[in-house]
Amino acid sequence: MATPGTTQEEFTLDTAAELAAEEGGSKIEGKSPWVLAGRRLRRNYTALAFLGIFLLVLFLCFVFAPVYSSQLSHVGPDDENASGVIHENGKTIHVISQGGSTFSGTGQVHLKAGGIPIGPQLGASGVAYFFGADQQGRDIGTRLLYGGRNTLFIGIVAAVICTVVAILLALLAAYFGGASDWIISRAFDLIWAFPVILLGIALGTALNINGFHHGPINIAAGSLWIPTFVIAFVFIPYIGRPLRGQVLALRNREFIEASTAQGAGPLRIMFTELLPNIASSVLVLFTLIVANAILTEVALSFLGAGVQPPKPSWGTMIADGQTFLSSDPWFAILPGIMITITVISLNVFGDGLRDALDPRAKVKMEH
Amino acid sequence: MRTKRVRSVAVAAVVAAGLALVVSACGGGGSSGGNTTTTSAQGKTFANLKVVWGPTDYLDPGLSYKLESWQIFQDVYLGLVDKRYGTCGVGAGCTKIIPAIAQSLPKSNSDGTDLKFTLRKGLKYSNGESVKASDFKNTIIRDFKLNSPGIGFFSNIVGIASCEANPTKCKSISGIIVNDQAGTVEIKLMKPQSDFLYILTTFFAALVPSSTPQKDTENPPPAADGPYYFSSYKPNHSWVAQRNPHWKPIPGIPNGNPDKITATLSGDQSRSAQLVQSNQVDYDENTLPADRLKQLQSKYGPQIHLWRTASTNYFFMNERTKPFNNIKARQAVNYAINRQTLVNLYGGLGTPTWNFLPPTYPQYKKLTPTPYPYNLQKAKQLVQQSGTKGMTIGVYTESDFQNRKAAGEYLQGQLNKIGWHAVMHELSSANYFVIVGNQKTKAQIGFDDWFEDYPYPTDWFTVLQYGPNIHQIHNNNNSNVDFKDTNSTINHLGTLPPGQAFSASTDNAWANLDKTLMLKYTSEAPFLNEVITSFFSTRMNPQCDIFTDLFSDAAQMCLK
Repeated sequence: MATPGTTQEEFTLDTAAELAAEEGGSKIEGKSPWVLAGRRLRRNYTALAFLGIFLLVLFLCFVFAPVYSSQLSHVGPDDENASGVIHENGKTIHVISQGGSTFSGTGQVHLKAGGIPIGPQLGASGVAYFFGADQQGRDIGTRLLYGGRNTLFIGIVAAVICTVVAILLALLAAYFGGASDWIISRAFDLIWAFPVILLGIALGTALNINGFHHGPINIAAGSLWIPTFVIAFVFIPYIGRPLRGQVLALRNREFIEASTAQGAGPLRIMFTELLPNIASSVLVLFTLIVANAILTEVALSFLGAGVQPPKPSWGTMIADGQTFLSSDPWFAILPGIMITITVISLNVFGDGLRDALDPRAKVKMEH
Repeated sequence: MRTKRVRSVAVAAVVAAGLALVVSACGGGGSSGGNTTTTSAQGKTFANLKVVWGPTDYLDPGLSYKLESWQIFQDVYLGLVDKRYGTCGVGAGCTKIIPAIAQSLPKSNSDGTDLKFTLRKGLKYSNGESVKASDFKNTIIRDFKLNSPGIGFFSNIVGIASCEANPTKCKSISGIIVNDQAGTVEIKLMKPQSDFLYILTTFFAALVPSSTPQKDTENPPPAADGPYYFSSYKPNHSWVAQRNPHWKPIPGIPNGNPDKITATLSGDQSRSAQLVQSNQVDYDENTLPADRLKQLQSKYGPQIHLWRTASTNYFFMNERTKPFNNIKARQAVNYAINRQTLVNLYGGLGTPTWNFLPPTYPQYKKLTPTPYPYNLQKAKQLVQQSGTKGMTIGVYTESDFQNRKAAGEYLQGQLNKIGWHAVMHELSSANYFVIVGNQKTKAQIGFDDWFEDYPYPTDWFTVLQYGPNIHQIHNNNNSNVDFKDTNSTINHLGTLPPGQAFSASTDNAWANLDKTLMLKYTSEAPFLNEVITSFFSTRMNPQCDIFTDLFSDAAQMCLK
């Protein structure tokens, strides 16, 4: 059933017969839609494999990172070591190569070029600098794991905040209609009118200078919460608008009328009748928003408006690494690979989840 | 203050500095100032010099305050006087003032407050208009009408007050008396000013026709009185300079070798180096990327020239805010930074320094023994003693220059090591100094640099270390250095009688001032003097690379 004003998706409610057809004639009596969705998801091995990859990335970044830092590399993600040395086979190697300029009496300058960080040691010096060092002598391996932690934290938390706020706004707008719908819809339009990255840069740059200090809310400059809230904010209409459309389609259905007739108030109807009916779309949109939030975080950090140094993120690591592409390409390539793996795994799993929850829905994000 | 960036200024209220004319100018007159002819050698001319150039700010001399613009302006716009077109620090160098549009250095009274110039005859702008004495006065008035970043340079001229009070309504300056018939310009100063002739060499004082619109004029840029003129300019994309068809050779000003200079604008160091490597352009104005220096040096050694610059890179420490209102905190920073490590972070393109004044100055005296050797333990103790341990400190730096970003991040790491909680603020170079130079930002510590505008210490101490020159916005004294005794010394050294401004005792006094500020007050944390590169294609002869006060002179470049 197409809903006026919502071109993002085509939402249908499965009938028992339709579900039975989807299930190839297997028994569906007494099974809830969630059980059926779980059954479909379990059969989608590709989606499960990519979910496994995503969980592995989460494990590496959230569980393994501190172990790697404390037990293997023995340095923290922000531990600068630009003046440091390592020892390999009795040789002393500077973490950042030494350079300098001297002048002859005739004014001629003699340069000893330096400043190149040590490349991947791949175990030659233990686990220290396994993937090399960055321009401040920080261990790339450690920063890769902690950078992933920051990137994923921002991506996931931003998606959660964004989804919760978007659900609330969509329910309020569509259920009450009238002025509240007009105001919320225009607010969605206003945010939607700005390209995500441009709006993110503007907000991120402004807030990262002095932080956000208004009333009881105090967020320090450079806090991870700044990119988190910025990203959550810019994506609200991308979830809010499709959900509003679905709620609009549902609010005049018989079961809502029945609930109203039984004396249920607006809050009860919104959270016990409408919300469960849009839950499958919420889940699918959530996975897509996580992937998009991760990519946005990476872009903002790459441009200097996201995670602030010295905190690592995959975006800042690519930005730092791009200046060393010719001498140490892995510096930029490694975080790029991690971003690719994470986003692909989320997208493939999200597709699988969508197929499992509602095989005929065409829920997708539009930009 | 040409830097590799824009500095808008309230600046230069070079004002108070005051005094004394450059020795060579004193009582000047008559002669052509001992200028050596630097015109191009016969047979060196060629059709087109293709260059890749860092982004310019404006190609209007009344508005531009960026090295990339001034570097090409040296071949386009001339003032009454100019600096010698020779390689700095080599032979006769680049600091000597020579007459340009004026036929000689000025005649002046004993205290140098009344300067009389006579213009050369028969000079014309690139649009065919004659160069007139009134053009100089109108150029200065135009600067005010444009609210030029350079108007602070002229605040010692008699009758300037009304223009300073309301720049855009400036109509006349009584202290500039011109006579078009006689071709004379007389400039009256309120008090002696040692660096005034150098200020006349800046492009804010370079003549443009009186008919030039009194607004930003860049398409095309104003007509030129130099050997070249801009025939086209596309901001952020390209500019083309061609021979001025009305150019009449002036002794000491190079006529230029290329008939045309075609510039592609790009700040991307890797891309611009690649364009030269592939011989698509002949000269790379950008400094080579640090990570490729070694590789490029080994492969293209003879095509790369290295030049020391009159510059100092330093960390400012805002003395109006905690913790840097406490000298122990400022000393702690100086002990916490390993200057050799910072040189490494610049790819080796620099030399460590503890002085504020660069070693290219005769007034420079190296501080010995090394006043702040790298000593983290001592730095930690000083932080402890300052009672500011654990304080959160905002560290500012530019995000889009690899070296500056690295220096800022290094500083942050060191501050964390010695007991503070340092938070990084990386800002785009486009607005970095505007934000940091606004007192409301209350920037505590961060990256700063200075490239000289002209070779006299007032450009360093009056602009950057002088209390009365602290401004609410567009402040260049980012540390808010304001000490009674050093203010008084700066004022005194700026108001010495002519003839003493360049004496050995005055040089010593400037050196002592440097020492006092760096040791007694630890007003800044200087860390290196920068070295930059020139990179030429295989068809160019790098021996023709003349590194003037405004860096490599494109007009003097030549083919093999």
